[in-house]
Amino acid sequence: MRTAGTYLLLALGAVATLAPFLLSVATAFKSPRQFASEPVLTPPDPPTLSNFAELFGERYDFVAPTAVTAQVVVVILVGQLVFSVFAAYAFARLSFPGRDALFWLYLATLMVPQVVTIIPLYAVFADLGIRNTFWALVLPYVFGSPYGIFLLREYFKGIPGDLLDAAKLDGAGTLRTIWHVVVPVSRPILATLAIITVVTHWNNFLWPLVITSGRQWQVLTVATSALQSQYNSNWTIVMAATTIAILPLMIVFLAFQRHVVRSITITGFR
Amino acid sequence: MRRRQETRTAYLLLAPSLFGIGAFLVLPILVVAVLATQRWDLIGPRTFVGFDNVVAVAADGRFVRSLLITAGFVAIVIPAQTVLGLVAALLLNRGLRGSAAFRVLYVLPWICAPLALGVMWSWVLAPTDGALNALIGRRVEWLADPVLAMPSVAAVTVWTQVGYVALFFSAGLRAIPDTVHEAAMLDGASPWQRFWRITLPLLRPTTFFVLVTQIIATFQVFDSVYALTPDGGPQGVTDVVAGRIYYEAFEQRAVGQAAVMALVLFVLLVAVTVVQQRWFARRTTYDLST
Repeated sequence: MRTAGTYLLLALGAVATLAPFLLSVATAFKSPRQFASEPVLTPPDPPTLSNFAELFGERYDFVAPTAVTAQVVVVILVGQLVFSVFAAYAFARLSFPGRDALFWLYLATLMVPQVVTIIPLYAVFADLGIRNTFWALVLPYVFGSPYGIFLLREYFKGIPGDLLDAAKLDGAGTLRTIWHVVVPVSRPILATLAIITVVTHWNNFLWPLVITSGRQWQVLTVATSALQSQYNSNWTIVMAATTIAILPLMIVFLAFQRHVVRSITITGFR
Repeated sequence: MRRRQETRTAYLLLAPSLFGIGAFLVLPILVVAVLATQRWDLIGPRTFVGFDNVVAVAADGRFVRSLLITAGFVAIVIPAQTVLGLVAALLLNRGLRGSAAFRVLYVLPWICAPLALGVMWSWVLAPTDGALNALIGRRVEWLADPVLAMPSVAAVTVWTQVGYVALFFSAGLRAIPDTVHEAAMLDGASPWQRFWRITLPLLRPTTFFVLVTQIIATFQVFDSVYALTPDGGPQGVTDVVAGRIYYEAFEQRAVGQAAVMALVLFVLLVAVTVVQQRWFARRTTYDLST
């Protein structure tokens, strides 16, 4: 009885979570005619890819924003992983004057909200003449994030000292030690940071909205938003766009969900 | 000699992130303070105007209104998602088969772009051809009605975040040793008593952590509100503070005034963090999570 009740409530939660996704994806696979003439709950009949074809066609050209978003995410991902590993290693395993003060400063910058930095960064980037460029999209994030450094530092602190000493005795320099010892034993946490970084920057909206204009460097979120405001009655096309903006991440998340779930509990409990 | 070398290595390793954090997180705070004393329209030259922007923002009233609107938004979203998240976590932690799958499923909205979710929900809540009105068979202006717009936007936010909150509570519940509950059961405590007297007090560190981080994050809401109710919504009822700053700077082109607002928001959020940290530090005596 109690078990059945629990399952019922859990299933209700699942329906409430999934229904909007399923309805909007179903709409993305309907022809505009079927969408206009039949009730919402009828499944796509027949399912059509015409919305996606049109979305990636000449008129809406979603190929470009998808490619820009992918490039931005890849460059930020590589930069964040490399530079966060560097910084976290220094904070976790080296002793040097100013370490604790610097780490405190890094942590303090977690409190700086994005909406506060966009105006001054816009001014600086405009002065430098790099507004509306690829670099404008990646520069603020590519040098590592305080969150990532914090996450890795906690993990690196737990690596047995013997392991690092052995590498040093073998004559390995710092970079070799990091690459051959630290990185291999830290794979789970690096995977976690990688997913968090991909999710954050695939989803980023406010900064790209502000710093780019026109189609050239438009990312997916900005393109989706522009599509919504221009064609907000063509819901089949708009839902195809949200599907493209959402689906790749869902797949990544479902493939690696254990890492993400664990990372949340790590940062939650310290 | 060795020490000096270690210091050199450390600073070489730190150089990129020091540059990044200095240039893109610390320097902007200084620049925004300078911009607050200038008049700028995003294109032309900047001119020094002293405290004119502060006076203009204070006289305008829309900024204060947006702060109140945001506080109201937080006051709806936080209690709702905390209670729902806790209930979900309690259900998920009964040790039933399939719980892990439900837990992952509930987190799905949280990993999606808030902007894309906002666009998706703007269809679900659309008046004539939206999914919700089709299902209930009535035409309700969820997002265009000045009374309904704010609760609707808040509901979408709660829907997005409940699974994430549940994840924390779920971990917190697992950290409570079974022996504590067993002892209480031997003493004849009812499930209800055990929840109020044991579970809830032992969850206090989790609860505080969730409240602190979520209040700060929710206060900065922008993407989903922008997609659901552009330009501050009907009669400006969903004009949240992050949106106010964005519109002021990039649509009104009153950058100086937007910079003043940004500074005020920054100071406010730091104050909230500091106060809550203090309170948090004093109240964590129940921590059994290790």
